Amino acid sequence: MKRTIIPFGPQHPVLPEPIVLDLILMDEKVMDAIPTIGYIHRGLEMMVERVEYTEMGFVVERICGICSFMHGMGYCVSLESIMNVEVPERARWLRLIWAEISRIQSHLLWLGLGADAFGFENLFMHCWRMREQILDIFEKTTGGRIIHSVNRIGGVKRDISDSELAAILAQLQELGAAFGETARVFETDPSIRHRLSGVGVLTTEDARAVDAVGPMARASGIAIDTRLSGAHLYDRVDFEPMVESAGDCLARVLVRLREVDQSIDIIRQAIERMPKGDGQAIETRVRGVPDGEVFTRLEQPRGEVIYYVKANGTRFLERFRARTPTFANIPAMIKLVKGSQLADVPNIILTIDPCISCTER
Amino acid sequence: MDRAAFLARVEEYHRAGWRLALINVTTVLSTEADMPGVFEIAWAFARGGGFETIREQIEPGATVPSISEFFGAAFLYENEIRELFGINVTGIGVDLKGQLYKTATRVPFSHAAVKARLEATRAAAVKHS
Repeated sequence: MKRTIIPFGPQHPVLPEPIVLDLILMDEKVMDAIPTIGYIHRGLEMMVERVEYTEMGFVVERICGICSFMHGMGYCVSLESIMNVEVPERARWLRLIWAEISRIQSHLLWLGLGADAFGFENLFMHCWRMREQILDIFEKTTGGRIIHSVNRIGGVKRDISDSELAAILAQLQELGAAFGETARVFETDPSIRHRLSGVGVLTTEDARAVDAVGPMARASGIAIDTRLSGAHLYDRVDFEPMVESAGDCLARVLVRLREVDQSIDIIRQAIERMPKGDGQAIETRVRGVPDGEVFTRLEQPRGEVIYYVKANGTRFLERFRARTPTFANIPAMIKLVKGSQLADVPNIILTIDPCISCTER
Repeated sequence: MDRAAFLARVEEYHRAGWRLALINVTTVLSTEADMPGVFEIAWAFARGGGFETIREQIEPGATVPSISEFFGAAFLYENEIRELFGINVTGIGVDLKGQLYKTATRVPFSHAAVKARLEATRAAAVKHS
């Protein structure tokens, strides 16, 4: 057998962002994969040295265009924790609603990319058409489709009126019904099942061994979900992590399909349970400078994200660090690629839902 | 740091079913002009809602052992802290040989690099005031 090294990336049809895997092959079988990232490393964490803590949130949400809202939320929650700021309840509910809307748009984006990767261009268009509707909701409620800048330390900048919330829920439920038809194609189409079933299997033991997070872990039978901790009002809504046991590419698709429906249901519960009435407080005014440190965990669409913030009593933070879910899932990706066939590598990499902007910061 | 005691604690987390959540480093500059400062390293572990850390402070140039033996995913964090902070990690499971990141500044979070940037920022602020 002949040993060949093939560079996969940084430009590849299935990669929306640049990453390189040097694939070491014996014939068509991948024997090893060596990752190189850094093509879009912007050094955003370094900017705490010259951007004041009140402005840093705007930098943090620019880590990534898909996870923008939750990055902003994680940063603000961290500072609120250090500065002992009590956030108004309505603002906390609004954050939960926007966080779940983020999850829906991220999953729809990914499902579209997945469909495109395995040759279903119309399916890709359907997913992205639905995602546009979600971005419309973001635009209507925050003013931005990608970068929202709606989080502030102490709460949120904009309220959503009760009538708007009712209209959003109706729109989401309509979208959910339409999504059901699209989801059925992913679930039942023989070509998709043939392409994804049994491919890139990450067993439960392997997922634990490489500390996988998010849908990646849940598709391998591990019911891990940071929302289960109950923080950020998730203790006030009813949900169970979406878990599959097969651990293959298809299982990772199915987990995300079900999480779209689940997020719509969580938003419904939030709208029903949040305090009613327009004109309620949505922000606590914050004074002074932060001093202390905190680790904050959130469940982003791709899995657990951890923020570390250390403040030293000045207007500039001493350290800001974001450990993103894709960073945590790179060892799992390498584990899966090793031993696979070269033709399966694109689908395996894509079903991790890699976000390289998040990973490199 | 007491290498054996540290690895024993890491092994305890591993045996108890914790997962590696993060290895984080903070560059702490000394308040004394001629002293470089230290690195604060936190190895963070999560299990369900639980979250615990092992903390160590090390001098620049000191080495820390890899925990890849217990947590397979550690190699990525360990390559990162070596490239970005210049911390020597011994026995990394998968050594990426400095090719994980492509940075304009070599070892951008070393004490010298952080100090130089802070001084440049202060000088710029004085110039604009």
